[in-house]
Amino acid sequence: MHVEATHDVLVVGAGCAGMRAAIEAHDAGADVGVISKLHPTRSHSGAAEGGINAALGNAGDDSPESHTFDTVKGSDYIGDQDAIEILCREAPGDIYQLEHWGAVFSRREDGKLAQRPFGAAGSPRTVFAADITGHVLIQVLYEQLVKREIAVYEEFFAWKLVENDDRCQGVICWDLLNGGLKTVGGKTVVLATGGQGRIYRTTTNAYACTGDGTAMALHLGLPLKDMEFMQFHPTTLYPTGILLTEGCRGEGAYLINKDGERFMKRYAPNAMELASRDVVSRSEQTEIDQGRGIDGSIFLDMRHLGAARIIERLPGSRELAMTFAGIDPIYDPVPVRPGAHYHMGGVETDNDGATELTGLYAAGEVACVSVHGANRLGGNSLMETITFGRRAGRAAAEWALSHTTIDVPRSAEADAERELRDLLDVSEGERPWQIRNDLGTSMLENFGVFRREEQMLAQLDIMDGLRERYQRGVVIEDKGDVFNTDLTQVIELGNMLDLAWCMVQAGIARKESRGAHARPYDYPTRDDENFMKHSISRWVDGAPQLSYSEVRVTEYEPMERTY
Amino acid sequence: MRVAYYKGCLASLSAKELDSATQALAPKVGLELVELESVTCCGAGDIHEAEPDYYLHLNARILAYAAAEGVDTLLTVCNVCTLNLRQANFILLGDSDVRARVNENLVSIGVPAYERDVDVRHLLWEIAEGEGYEKLKAAAHRGLKGLKIAPFYGCQILRPSRIQGFEDPDRPWSLERIIEACGGEAIDYPAKIKCCGFPIIQAREETALGELIQPIEQAVEAGADAMVTPCPLCHLSLDAWQSKLKAETGRDFKMPILHLSQLVGVAAGLQESELRFKRHVVSVKPMLEKIEV
Amino acid sequence: MQVGLKVWRYNARTGERELAEYEVEAPEEATLLDVLDIVKDKHDGTLAYRKSCRMMICGSCGMRMDGAAVLACKTRMYDVAQAGHVPVISAMGNLPIVKDLVVDMEPFWHKFMSVDPFLRPGYDEPPGGRENLIRQERMNVIHKESLCINCGCCVSECNAMESDPRFLGPQALAKAMRFVGDPRDGHKIERLDALNSEHGIWECTRCYFCNERCPKGVDPRDAIAKLGAESIKEGIDGDMGAKHAKWFVVSAKTTGWLRETELVPKTQGLVAAIKQTRFALDLAKKGKVPPPVPPHVAKNVRQARQLHDLLQQQGVNGYAGIVQGEHALGKLAHGHVSGETLEEIYDRPGAFPRPYIEEAEEAVTS
Repeated sequence: MHVEATHDVLVVGAGCAGMRAAIEAHDAGADVGVISKLHPTRSHSGAAEGGINAALGNAGDDSPESHTFDTVKGSDYIGDQDAIEILCREAPGDIYQLEHWGAVFSRREDGKLAQRPFGAAGSPRTVFAADITGHVLIQVLYEQLVKREIAVYEEFFAWKLVENDDRCQGVICWDLLNGGLKTVGGKTVVLATGGQGRIYRTTTNAYACTGDGTAMALHLGLPLKDMEFMQFHPTTLYPTGILLTEGCRGEGAYLINKDGERFMKRYAPNAMELASRDVVSRSEQTEIDQGRGIDGSIFLDMRHLGAARIIERLPGSRELAMTFAGIDPIYDPVPVRPGAHYHMGGVETDNDGATELTGLYAAGEVACVSVHGANRLGGNSLMETITFGRRAGRAAAEWALSHTTIDVPRSAEADAERELRDLLDVSEGERPWQIRNDLGTSMLENFGVFRREEQMLAQLDIMDGLRERYQRGVVIEDKGDVFNTDLTQVIELGNMLDLAWCMVQAGIARKESRGAHARPYDYPTRDDENFMKHSISRWVDGAPQLSYSEVRVTEYEPMERTY
Repeated sequence: MRVAYYKGCLASLSAKELDSATQALAPKVGLELVELESVTCCGAGDIHEAEPDYYLHLNARILAYAAAEGVDTLLTVCNVCTLNLRQANFILLGDSDVRARVNENLVSIGVPAYERDVDVRHLLWEIAEGEGYEKLKAAAHRGLKGLKIAPFYGCQILRPSRIQGFEDPDRPWSLERIIEACGGEAIDYPAKIKCCGFPIIQAREETALGELIQPIEQAVEAGADAMVTPCPLCHLSLDAWQSKLKAETGRDFKMPILHLSQLVGVAAGLQESELRFKRHVVSVKPMLEKIEV
Repeated sequence: MQVGLKVWRYNARTGERELAEYEVEAPEEATLLDVLDIVKDKHDGTLAYRKSCRMMICGSCGMRMDGAAVLACKTRMYDVAQAGHVPVISAMGNLPIVKDLVVDMEPFWHKFMSVDPFLRPGYDEPPGGRENLIRQERMNVIHKESLCINCGCCVSECNAMESDPRFLGPQALAKAMRFVGDPRDGHKIERLDALNSEHGIWECTRCYFCNERCPKGVDPRDAIAKLGAESIKEGIDGDMGAKHAKWFVVSAKTTGWLRETELVPKTQGLVAAIKQTRFALDLAKKGKVPPPVPPHVAKNVRQARQLHDLLQQQGVNGYAGIVQGEHALGKLAHGHVSGETLEEIYDRPGAFPRPYIEEAEEAVTS
């Protein structure tokens, strides 16, 4: 094993946040390397559909202040308001930058960028490209990456961060294409590895979304913030969990129960289908639990939109419904249900993406600044990847350019080699899929949309058992070097087990309902006096330890949250 | 059934044998051909690429004149003509604004407007099923006496399947069914749905020959006595360019290539004056001798 | 349901190939990708393939089923299993195989990068730093090309590339069209010049396999035709392929029918034509070289001439001439027959109940 190369800034993950960070770091004059376990355009940012928020004011009166308020309220008041102000203020400039780079957005009659209504937004501010906005962003960012000839270590599975001298100095990876452990050194490292939806059996997330970066940071002892807040997207297909964008509701689609009733009237009489996502998911789950669904789903009804509008604005969603649910939304409502979608929690960073560890930055879903608090608005995540990706990239570049040394110790590499041997040498035990399925199913049942004490405690026990099975030995059948995803899947599983533990532990301790953490049976209301704070999970001696930190309030005091 | 007949460029000129065989065969399979005269080349992929608006209008003109004959079907005998006309037809039928504009242009130069819709169908589709197929079976009294025939579909009669749509583009069956109805044995081989290379045989000869050799080579290996194709362009490359293959590779394949109408024509007992095999570059004699024609 | 698969295993290091057969139990809604996952999890962990999103947007899982490239995540297995058919799964074509179903995408990305796949703006910053103002109709020119997810299915099946691996290929060319047609790009002529090279636009053999295989409706062949049309419109027409195409136009407006005999010298030039005299004579003996004189003229050819002049004035040429048909042809792609009113949809037999709002007395708090 050897050090493959060194860079000023090493970005781990090549989705929207990673590529935006890399581009910015390059433009700031740094030598950049990007590590990704997938080819960049395969990253899950590309699956985002509905749009990206910015207060451009193209579709009506709007302002960054209004966007800020909506986001603070949407976060159920534990979003850090200074970070949110930055996001909303800088978003318009970032969108224009993307458009100047050639992003293929949908347009209004007058040629300006079109903006559609989205959940919990006071004014339509979601810029979009039909219903393939993520795809369009991934393409334009990759084009800009290629233009700058930035080095990409493609299909390098990032496994461990290298810490030396109280600094993060690189990443140890498994080379998927050729085999072998490879270390890439970096004066700074930017984590942009996305979320961990695959912890749940039903999720909108790709197979790749296993929280590798979150786990790497956790294992280094860094604080993870707000881990209990997992967003359940209201409209996912059954049984795959495939996403149907909020943009459908933005275009006017209804949510109906089995009788055809637009039930959101009873839960969010003003915003209706475009209430905040956690509100909608809870409403749906209540309808389902109370028997007004069919086969565990309620329905997304687009019939009244008409074929022309559906084909023009929502062709991707229509194709998904037809391919994966066998339903043409022009004629029939589509059965949908809440599915694990986005993790509000993650690696704690400041407003420039810097983590507690010198030289280590994070941006995008992996990070928790926090701009989303307890619940994220649709369209704000793509915005976060761009705005904070840029900020983290610049901050990392500036630090790297003002420091010269880099030192990756041999011992780090040797330890990793040994651990790899141990993993591969297991010859007796179970295959990883069983543990993975048990984790996913139990998390969905015991840590889903609605949570209760007994179930969460039971989940801790279940996960104890799963960890024990994992540590006893999981068999990797492929002992080879070339494209060994059997190996990487086992590492991913280990990451998810540790992260899930942090999540449930934080969930039990939060004795209130706030945002996506809903405890209607034991703690149905929000408790600002005791819990208007962030949870912090740290890994100490092989287990998570919980503490709390302050929420940064600037302008908005917590109010009752209704839609 | 009365149909408008659009023979296209090759059947008018270098592949006259296709026209003579088709005209002689038509009554035997229940087709009354009304030959269209005020027409032009359909443009092939070339006018579609060079001047796409002209392509649309030329094909609209052909459709308009066909409609003016009061028929429901415009019959073609070439893969490329079929795709071009069907594509233009879908554009006109599917977009009333475009149709209105095209019609306005046509009328302004004295062409009837394309108002009554027609359907464009290749002869292959007419005789592969339904009434045409029944008549085919009755007409093929002479039979092919077990001759091994390798069907070559080529590209554009199958793809894009959204426009052509007659059969599964990956598992077509029409030629095989016709061969068998004529008493022949259909040979299967992978390259039967691949490209013969004709569109680039002049501009990129080497690349085209690399494509062309595949179906011929495979047909020879599979023991075929002859190949049949529904496209005169494929016919031209398979037949006339075999000598170039020989010059390139040293291999003399001697594989006779028949037009669809000729193959059926043989089985139906048409004469040489109608089949005009003398016009082929690769001699068809060995195949004919085998069945004592 | 029971599903059987035959998979071509391949080890690039040893060169060993093997057709492995698997039979698994899978849910009815399973896709090919789901079945491969079941094989890898429960039967053979060494099976190698790419995957990620499982919802046809990332482009990872391109592979061949019975010799035709598909996205594994888009391919439902129900009908195949019901028919008792055991498909053969193999790696995509035209790219070197790394292992089993994993191909080396490097040659693919190399061609992609060679067309400068990024905007080269022809403007200074728009006023106020805001967005460029572009109407949706104008952006729609590159709508289909912008759908490309780089999956490789088109490249896998490209007949021209199979014969000549140096051909740029459908994906790179479609991506090039995405920029040639983007109003913000300032280097259209330069791009078209480069694309008119030996292995560019005019090496496409028009087999339409790319249009057929593309899982996203990009229609690369049409993108290539758009590039050709735009090249000729801009006077970039020196390539033999362009000359060949232009002769069809000249033929149509002068005699109506293709002037076949003159096609070779017009395309390849007089010298090359003379070099092929022997070949031409062999064809001439069979009557395959119709004498150019007297010309074979179609009836009422005057109309063809007039039509050409009229359309020149109207100027719907270059890629615009092809884009004008996309609205109608898109209807074929969407498979939707328009026309029903909302009432008709709500009243269909067995239709789901109509949506309504229950005016509640008390809002249920969430």
